[in-house]
Amino acid sequence: MEVVIILIILGIIGYLIYDSLPNTKFEKAQAHFAAKNYIEAINIFNEILDKHNEAPAKFAECKLIIGLGLKENSEKLKAFNEILELRKRIKNTSSIAKYENIEAKAYFEIAKIQYEESNADIDKLNQNLKFIDNANKKGLETDFNSLRTKHFYQLSESYFKKAIEIEKSNKYPESIQVYKKAIECSEKSYNSRIKHNAAARILICRLKLNENIDLKEISEVQKSDKEYQKDLFYRYSVYLLKKKDFQKAEKIISTYLNFESVHIEKLRDILKAEKTNMALNQITQINQKIEQLYNNSLSTEEISTFYNSLDSIISHLKSVDIELSEKVLAIKPTLFNRLLTNYITNEQYDNAINLIQKYPNFWESPELLKNLGICCYGFTSKGLLTEKNYKIVISGWLTAVYSDKVILKSLEDTSWDDNYTFSLAESIGSNYSQHKEIPENVNYDEISESNISIGATQRELLKQFETIIHKEIKDPQLSILVNNFYDKEKEALEKVINILATDILFPTPYFAILNGINNEIIRELDDYYEEYSDEEALEAGIPYIKNSTSSIVYQYYFANDLIERIESAIEDVNLAAIKKLNTKENKTWIEKFDKISTTVEDRLYNKLSLKISDDDENETLISIMEECISISKNNEKLKYQYSNYVANYCISQVNEENIDNYKALLLMKSAYLHSPNNPRICKNFITLIRFNLMDILNERTNKESDIYEILDWVKGNMSQTYKQNSSVLNNARKEILGQLKANGVDISLFDDNNLTSILSVLSLNSQGLKMKKVLTYLRDLGNSLDTINPLDRLRQLRQQLNLDDDLPF
Amino acid sequence: MKNPYSILGVSQDAEKSEIMKAQMIAMKKKEYSLQEIAIAAKQLLDPAKRLAADFMFPSKIKAKRIQPIKSNLIYKEININNINEDAFDSLK
Repeated sequence: MEVVIILIILGIIGYLIYDSLPNTKFEKAQAHFAAKNYIEAINIFNEILDKHNEAPAKFAECKLIIGLGLKENSEKLKAFNEILELRKRIKNTSSIAKYENIEAKAYFEIAKIQYEESNADIDKLNQNLKFIDNANKKGLETDFNSLRTKHFYQLSESYFKKAIEIEKSNKYPESIQVYKKAIECSEKSYNSRIKHNAAARILICRLKLNENIDLKEISEVQKSDKEYQKDLFYRYSVYLLKKKDFQKAEKIISTYLNFESVHIEKLRDILKAEKTNMALNQITQINQKIEQLYNNSLSTEEISTFYNSLDSIISHLKSVDIELSEKVLAIKPTLFNRLLTNYITNEQYDNAINLIQKYPNFWESPELLKNLGICCYGFTSKGLLTEKNYKIVISGWLTAVYSDKVILKSLEDTSWDDNYTFSLAESIGSNYSQHKEIPENVNYDEISESNISIGATQRELLKQFETIIHKEIKDPQLSILVNNFYDKEKEALEKVINILATDILFPTPYFAILNGINNEIIRELDDYYEEYSDEEALEAGIPYIKNSTSSIVYQYYFANDLIERIESAIEDVNLAAIKKLNTKENKTWIEKFDKISTTVEDRLYNKLSLKISDDDENETLISIMEECISISKNNEKLKYQYSNYVANYCISQVNEENIDNYKALLLMKSAYLHSPNNPRICKNFITLIRFNLMDILNERTNKESDIYEILDWVKGNMSQTYKQNSSVLNNARKEILGQLKANGVDISLFDDNNLTSILSVLSLNSQGLKMKKVLTYLRDLGNSLDTINPLDRLRQLRQQLNLDDDLPF
Repeated sequence: MKNPYSILGVSQDAEKSEIMKAQMIAMKKKEYSLQEIAIAAKQLLDPAKRLAADFMFPSKIKAKRIQPIKSNLIYKEININNINEDAFDSLK
């Protein structure tokens, strides 16, 4: 009994000890937590705060849950602040780590309440931002960032409101500063409405301060409220008008204030008045200049400045008084003549050339084209050609001299020629009697003493110019450039003139492209080709191509260029480039034009020949040649060239043991395929067949099945020339059989026509079977002209087996 | 190449006889070499070559003598100061 009592007491004591252990208490508190008895749980967690690692975190979690469940913000804040206060009581570092997750949540809840209670107050919002900056955000970084953004969004709104109030009290510099803060916050919170409105208001404030504004960021302002925009652009227009920047003001008014309003109308009236006054001033100044011009008191430079100023004056006058603008326009030709005469007289040919070239469509005027020719001649004779200007000068000269109309123009200015007539029969600027209108004293009749050749005049002019560029250019490099360019331009021009019989200006290619009239020539050549199918016309058009990709001339150029690119790829032994060019579409282009398609084979053949003469041991060339054969529709020459190259390559490479017999056989198969009746190819191919069979027999190759595959193909593709040359294979067979016989071997085992041979399959070892197969191929591929008919062979076999009845057929 | 008209000192419309005469005068003046004078005369006596020499005289485009420009426009007074800058005040 006593023992029992003692045991009970010990049990009670043990239980009490167990019950007071931290772990036991923690589990009890956890059970309360699970049952949502947070007060009881808190009490127990509080007891073991220092004794259990997880107790502080769980304590805080209880407080957080309780806090979240409270109604009043003040009560909530109290609960959450108690969580923050708890940190001071925690001594254990591992407890802190667990507690911090709950602490961050408490911070977040506090920040959220403070944000809600800020009522958009700038100070409170800024304070709460500082609170957030200092808060522990562990695990809640995204939530805190989102809360910060909300603060900045609200701040941008609040700052903007504040700035408006300041602006209303006319404190513009201060309001600008606050608008800037609004922009800063709006950028952090993506509040684009405030950003654009604040930007517009800053500009308005600046204008109110009579400061100039920069409208570089006009796109930002254009996103602001319409009322702000109207206010801003109106104020800006007034500012510009005050500053007498009428041009800019007009642009702003017409672009951004394009609506009906008395106020805008006022601005427009001011602009109109200003334009009228300005026009009057301009006319006064022009009249003064005209007077000076006729008094000869204007220098060439002053005439030039005056002349160059007229376009902008005319443009301005058009908006004020069209009639007046036309009157000013009418004085331009006189000024032009005066200026040009001065330039030519003073030998300022570069200025003269520039002046003519700026004249709209100057090439349509024989007078201006003639003057251009004079200036180009003068410029060249003065030794002023350089690498930068020679193309303009030479193309200008040639275009002028080759224009019959320019020469005819010269006839109008003199009277010495009244007793003569002039013939265009030999003129260099036309091919036929193609000029629609010619002067009375001009004809196409035979040249005589009284009927002067215009062609002779043109040739004389060319001769004089050529003398200069041949003999008087001192820099040898420039001389080459100039003379080559001259010859090229002249040749291209003559080609076009010889083809076309239309009454148009024939410019040189450079002149045509420079002045944008090349497409007219290309169109004429296209039409000529369509009518006469003469590819010379397309050839002549190539130098005139710039961007006219839809023309036939361009298609011809493209097709020709394809061949040139292939030639270039052959030159560089660039197989990839050729493969890229060898497309179905490209081949269609090449085939489209006779001159190109009929010459492509020769062009590629010649290019390949040159390459082969440089390098006859290049295997890549074999693939390149195969591509060329595929590109050219006519390709017999290319095939012949290819097969011979392959044969040479195989012979040299096999002899030098750079490639094995199988590789050579493979290459020669392609050569044989392209030239099956070329005796040299056939002989070499047959030799390689023999080499490969010997390799099999002597076990010198591991390509046995590949070789037989090729040989099987040969069986079905024997050309006449092959058959005529294949007896060497049969001879080789006989030779082998002779050797076998000499060595005492029963050669009937290897004779396919013999019954013993058929039965030998059962008795021959692998070596014997290999021998039998090689001998069979030697026989089948050699002397094919004598090959026994399979039916005859069957008959022989039946006789050997004593079968009486003959075959039923 | 020098202008043959300048060498011989004759106008662009000079007749053959004038050119022959001018050749003699130029030789006496000795301003140019005998060869230059001979080439110039030869050029002006050959109609095709003379036409080439004529090419070097500039042509003028069609233009009329400029007259002072008259305008019916009347000068207008501009008063910018009486504009209401706050006409579209967006803070009202």
